[in-house]
Amino acid sequence: MLRLLLRRLGVLLGAAVALTFVVFWLTNLPPNLERIARSEAGTRISEAEVAGWLERNGYGRPLLVRYGEWLGVLPGWVGMDGDGNPRGRCLRAGDGAGRDAGPESGPESGPESGPESGPEPAEAPARCGLLQGDWGWSRVFQAEVRDVVARGLGHTAKLMAWVLVVMVPSALLLGVLAGMREGSGLDRALSGVAVLTAATPEYVSGVVLVAVFASSATGLRWFNGSATSAMEDATLANFTLPVLTIALYGMGYVARMTRAAMAEVMTAPYIRAARLKGLSFRQVVLRHALRNALIAPFTVVMLQIPWLLNGVVIVETLFNYKGFGWTLVEAAGNNDIDLLLGVSVVSVVVVLLTQMASDLGYALLNPRIRLGRG
Amino acid sequence: MTPRRPSARAPHPAALMHAGEVRAGRLSRREFLTRATALGVASGAAYGLLGLEAPAGAQDAATPVPGGTLRMNMETRALKDPRTWDWSEIANFARGWLDYLAEYQADGTLRPMLLESWEANADATEWVLSVRQGVTWNNGDPFTAEDVAHNLRRWCDGTVEGNSMAARFAGLVDPATNRMREEAVEILDAATVRLRLSAPDIAVVANMADYPAAVVHRSYDGGDPAASPIGTGPYLPEVNEVGVRQVLVRNPDHAWWGTAVHGGPWLDRIEYIDYGTDPAAVLAAAESGEIDATYQTNGDFIDIYDSLGWAKSEAITASTLAVRFNQRQPPYDSREVRRALQMAVDNAVVLELGYSDRGLVAENHHVCPIHPEYAELPPPVVDPAAARAALEAAGHGATEFELVSLDDSFQAATCDAVAAQIRDAGIAIRRTVLPGSTFWNDWLNYPFSATQWAMRPLGVQTLNLAYKSGVAWNETAFANAEFDAALAEASSITDAEARRAVMARLQRILQDEGVVIQPYWLALYRHATPRVRGAEQHPIYEHHHYKWWMEPAN
Repeated sequence: MLRLLLRRLGVLLGAAVALTFVVFWLTNLPPNLERIARSEAGTRISEAEVAGWLERNGYGRPLLVRYGEWLGVLPGWVGMDGDGNPRGRCLRAGDGAGRDAGPESGPESGPESGPESGPEPAEAPARCGLLQGDWGWSRVFQAEVRDVVARGLGHTAKLMAWVLVVMVPSALLLGVLAGMREGSGLDRALSGVAVLTAATPEYVSGVVLVAVFASSATGLRWFNGSATSAMEDATLANFTLPVLTIALYGMGYVARMTRAAMAEVMTAPYIRAARLKGLSFRQVVLRHALRNALIAPFTVVMLQIPWLLNGVVIVETLFNYKGFGWTLVEAAGNNDIDLLLGVSVVSVVVVLLTQMASDLGYALLNPRIRLGRG
Repeated sequence: MTPRRPSARAPHPAALMHAGEVRAGRLSRREFLTRATALGVASGAAYGLLGLEAPAGAQDAATPVPGGTLRMNMETRALKDPRTWDWSEIANFARGWLDYLAEYQADGTLRPMLLESWEANADATEWVLSVRQGVTWNNGDPFTAEDVAHNLRRWCDGTVEGNSMAARFAGLVDPATNRMREEAVEILDAATVRLRLSAPDIAVVANMADYPAAVVHRSYDGGDPAASPIGTGPYLPEVNEVGVRQVLVRNPDHAWWGTAVHGGPWLDRIEYIDYGTDPAAVLAAAESGEIDATYQTNGDFIDIYDSLGWAKSEAITASTLAVRFNQRQPPYDSREVRRALQMAVDNAVVLELGYSDRGLVAENHHVCPIHPEYAELPPPVVDPAAARAALEAAGHGATEFELVSLDDSFQAATCDAVAAQIRDAGIAIRRTVLPGSTFWNDWLNYPFSATQWAMRPLGVQTLNLAYKSGVAWNETAFANAEFDAALAEASSITDAEARRAVMARLQRILQDEGVVIQPYWLALYRHATPRVRGAEQHPIYEHHHYKWWMEPAN
């Protein structure tokens, strides 16, 4: 068991390093860097000024060195700005000390407390990357990447929690009902629903749901077509549609898997034995078939979570819900290097952690499976 | 010494002259009000010069009710040094705690804010500004003439990258150092400042009302103004999340000077929520009850909001969409190519298809008929066949052009209409539509693209900002010595009649050089729930928070 965990952890680290390096490489392609220089230092600057700006801001050195700095295994760059003041990766203000200073702090809190200022060069740490807990600075949001990602994850966690609450029970119910009498009318009807929702991607179902239930076009207006207010106060009106959009897509797939597992279990000899023993159909399903039928769906649910994150990107953008997926879209649209890297790291960790959890849960549900023995 | 009250004396002679122009039908009433108040005539007196009664401040006689929260959609952008602001949205958030010296009203007049009054000499080279007394900063410091001089010094500092205010105060800037001439700004006493310009400038106070001219405290030293929000205004920033939302709350510990002068503020809280650039997302928010008012309603959405029962307010403007060429980038460095593309496009068709005829057809020279100095020229020639022939003659018969635009509905539709007409003329053209997050990173440098320009009270102001050689926002890369010279000349003539002769030259140069396809002038709209009062759309998108109030919910 421990060996498996360690191996999985190793895979996780390797994948995270590989993926972030690819993202780092792509976002640091010369045209992308030029775009950053132009958006930061003014769109009218010349080629030479672009090169100068990149050099002054630490983008001038080899890619691998800068990647090392971002990871925190190499010392951060140090340079001079236009006025000869020292500047560098590690000289940026940490948590924006002084940013909360109100008017009462008066003039004396003036220039030194601005967000540009950081620790004195002599006191600044040599390395400040991911390993030191410094995720970098988001250009788009003008805030610490750590804070932006945390804010996004908080909103998305709320969304995903509700998605799972809606999706898992409804999918299992649908699958079990369909699978307990394979080929019956109920089975065909429910399977039809499951195939339909699994085959409708979020960008279709979301738009259709908004058009039907949230716009003046049909006059139904039961729910809100915007989930912005749900970030602070989620209600049935403002959170139903985004949750439903994601949940419907995942539900169809999980229901199909549950149905298949259920149908297979129902043909097993021990079920026939239970029936022959004189137990009611209800008891057979609930006490004998269900546990064995739920092993496969459990794995599928866990593996479904990374896929649902795709849906989160679409749904959060569609409903203006400022979570993790929306953050990713903004970061990618603006080539916000540090933020994109932060988002990538979190994505890799989420995907691999859910896989690990599915393996562990599998072993707990099925005593025949032993982990870590060859 | 008591503060001077120039407005109590006889009105400026030029104002009397302008009143004569209005009676003779040579000057519109709106422009008269702008110009007379810019010369130091109180707006009530300005109406009086025309023999009119000053209109009541609000259209409805209802008494404002204090309290309440107003929520509006707006792109919430990162704050920076006010003089480098390039978005009205940035200013509209910071207006909560930063006041202006003067304020441009929707009827075209200038309202004194931190200045109590101003007065110009006959040739507009010397200005006397009276600073309002009894104003305090929200940290307790008094607001004095020193603060006015400090802000003028900041605005005139042309060495700061992206400072667009320096171009507006060229008459105070020393060309050698690119900073303010210290002798140009004289503090006569704590309440009076005298400006001595190197060249006549009729727009000094109008420029002080423009949105990057927010007045900051002496302790402010660049960076995010919300980090340490010292200002004279009645609100304070509570939340400042870029791309998410920005919230202003009433500052309970600060007695705002304007309460006694202009009334208000009424609202306890103003929330700006970012829904991106997609108007459908804003509509969804409006239908969901997440906002009380739109920042702006565009195009087809106007009818939809009307059908929701929201109240519409309209502002007639000299705002426009300039479909411009960047002359530094081939093939648009060729005058023939630019002229040919212009000739292929009928502006009236663009207005109809791109903005549902909600505006006025324009003539490719970025001076609006409502500007006082507008000179009427023969309408531009539309001749698709000649356009095609001219392109072939210039060796670009087979070139495929590319028109880049924002994904915003009316901007995209307008560019589609322009491109479709170019295509109909037998010229190959490709359309690229970019989301705002990508588009604005590079707006000045696209070879052929469209930019929305807000209006400015005087025609020369926009020309100075956008078409003078080498200025910060010159996205056309237009550089023409003859134009620059004529523009300098026009900017020093106070008399609209006399200026018109020079304007005719300027407008003709812009047309002849094929600088922009400028198809129409926009009317601006805002929709709000019937509870929202005093928050009508403003011709230059200014949010005057102190006028806003909400009727209590039933």
